[in-house]
Amino acid sequence: MSASRTNWKGIMLFLLPVALLYCAFFLYPLVFVFVTGCTSWNGIRAMSFTGLSNYIKLFGNGTFRLSLRNNFIWAFALAFIQVPLATITAMVLARKPRGWRFLRTVYFLPNVISQVAIAMMWMALYNAEYGILNHFLSAIGLESWTHNWLGEIGTALPAVIAQQVLYIGYFMIIILAGILSIPDSLYEAAEMDGAGVLRQELYVTLPMIRGLLVTSMTLAVAYGLRHFEATYLMTNGGPANSTSVLGLLLYKKMGALDYGQANAIGSVLVLTGGLLIIFIRRIFGRVESASETVQ
Amino acid sequence: MKYPMRTTGRALCFAAGLVLVSLFSGCDRQDAGEDEIVLKWPTIWVGKDSKAPMVEKLVAEFNEEHAGSIKVEIEPNPDYDGYRNKLNTAIASGQVPDIFVFNPDPTTFQYYEGDLLMDFSEDLKGSWGDTFVSGTIDAATKNEMVKSIPYEQAITPIWYNQALFDKAGIGSFPKTFDEFWAACDKLKAAGIVPTSQMTGGTNAWTSMLWYSHIVAGLGGPDVWKKPFSDPVFEKAAAILLHMYQDGNTTKDAVGGDAAVSGGHYLAGDTAIFINGPWYIGRVKSDAPEVYAHTKVTAAPQTPGGSSGAQIGFLLSNLAAAKTDDPTRRAAVISFMKWMTAPENIKRISMDSGSLFCVKFQVGDEAVDPLQKQFMEAAANATFITSHFQGNVTTDVAAEFGQALGKMVLGEAAPKEFVDQIIEATE
Repeated sequence: MSASRTNWKGIMLFLLPVALLYCAFFLYPLVFVFVTGCTSWNGIRAMSFTGLSNYIKLFGNGTFRLSLRNNFIWAFALAFIQVPLATITAMVLARKPRGWRFLRTVYFLPNVISQVAIAMMWMALYNAEYGILNHFLSAIGLESWTHNWLGEIGTALPAVIAQQVLYIGYFMIIILAGILSIPDSLYEAAEMDGAGVLRQELYVTLPMIRGLLVTSMTLAVAYGLRHFEATYLMTNGGPANSTSVLGLLLYKKMGALDYGQANAIGSVLVLTGGLLIIFIRRIFGRVESASETVQ
Repeated sequence: MKYPMRTTGRALCFAAGLVLVSLFSGCDRQDAGEDEIVLKWPTIWVGKDSKAPMVEKLVAEFNEEHAGSIKVEIEPNPDYDGYRNKLNTAIASGQVPDIFVFNPDPTTFQYYEGDLLMDFSEDLKGSWGDTFVSGTIDAATKNEMVKSIPYEQAITPIWYNQALFDKAGIGSFPKTFDEFWAACDKLKAAGIVPTSQMTGGTNAWTSMLWYSHIVAGLGGPDVWKKPFSDPVFEKAAAILLHMYQDGNTTKDAVGGDAAVSGGHYLAGDTAIFINGPWYIGRVKSDAPEVYAHTKVTAAPQTPGGSSGAQIGFLLSNLAAAKTDDPTRRAAVISFMKWMTAPENIKRISMDSGSLFCVKFQVGDEAVDPLQKQFMEAAANATFITSHFQGNVTTDVAAEFGQALGKMVLGEAAPKEFVDQIIEATE
């Protein structure tokens, strides 16, 4: 009989406090969000049940649809640009070139700096009047490439996303730890079989860290969907709502004491996140089982 | 894994210590004296706020005068948006602070709806109410209840830098918009950007005030009673759009926030700006040269509209949690009366440059020259009306900047700008 069956009382005892906290501070608020998303409520007067009218209103609103689209772009950018960049960097650092420990720290450093400070720095870099980016472009003869980066519809969203995507440290550390735990003997065997560095990375490293990559991408999608800070600080959703995200829209509705609409947005966010994560796990699960069948 | 007995003992002692500390920490009020009423006041008037030093002094004096019976404790909340969010959450959960400050607008006036705030209507009927500037108590009255005390008010005239005007060869501030555009051309010819604008921040503050001035000029004192579909709002949008065109503002105005808009004026990059009297302290300390040359005036006359209007509004009201305890209620009233006593209002006004809803007498020598200009601008106004933000909920106010950004980037015409505002209100 397994230990988990014999010690179930002990296991339950250890799990109970966390389970209670989880119910009190996650499940209960989650149910509350779904319920109040179907009401008209300002937090002061009594709630009145309005059915799905909040959702109908939301999906008929251009800013909401734009925000939802932007959340998908964020999720995509983090999962398919940031994570691959982090993976490539981790692969290079795992080869332990000179100064790799220093570089590892440098890449991770932005993750311990306040998001507010980083946003302020990038706002200054992007500024149309005195920003260093425009000065640099002008200095190298590319004056026609200068923009009001955060003030133009075409550049604002890429500009906000770019400053976030560059900070690969978090995923790099996770993936680097995974790569460093791969036994050297696998690489030695591949080398003896005539595999070069690129082939070693493709046929040894990537399959060995597949699980970590799936986890990183899942986390990246979750971050993309719940994104708020940089947009709030750098553009407040502008110009013309072109950088708006659901988190920001929710925040604005809460500020206006429109908790019914705010919680409807929250419900959409939770459901979208859940569906996207299930989708990613399924896709990668299929790839994984397919590759196992081939092996 | 087994822990040594000594470690377990230490852990138990630590836990017991924590319990004791938490028990005694709950006895603060009793320690302060059985009969002393402690009023917590979470406030934004702390830190760098120009009113902070005098507010702190007034509270200290009040506490000294009521030692042993009433004690007001300031809880610092220097972040304006954070403070507002905190208030919203506290009120929605029924945990109203003993005393608090709020910016009166259609969103925050919803606080009146529940039975959570103290009603001052009876108290203000006596001599206390007579000390307030005419109309301010009415502005804080909803359904015949005065659940907040009108405290700070403001007008937001047009600021201009006379030194830059002189440099461009402009003698005085233009009286009409035709003259205004001509003055803008002269400023640009002299290498000066005419106006500070912004579409960013939470409400596109500077541009929202420009829009309010133009709307008031076109539509008169009761303009905010008109629906947004009225042609006045579209005409005003077209004028505001011109402020963003032909180099009439800085390149970073689209997407720029209050720091950008104010920063350009303080740096002497722009010649014209709009803000309230609370900014006097900032310009005085951060840009004394600009301060020395700043003058305030009314907006130019709009084509077919009136002139001399000012945008004015209640900036902050004081409110308190409702209580059934008459002693506690008396303590709150006592503090409110202290904070609104004319002699104390005079001190805080002289110290900060802010304008208040309570009348007080003052000699010329004590008034800051720029603050004096504000007072004169208010006195000389043909009428004073509220701003756009004061007539819509905060989410609609936020949509103003987004619609403005769309319009100035050529993605929407003035009519579509107004339509976006109307959609947000629905």
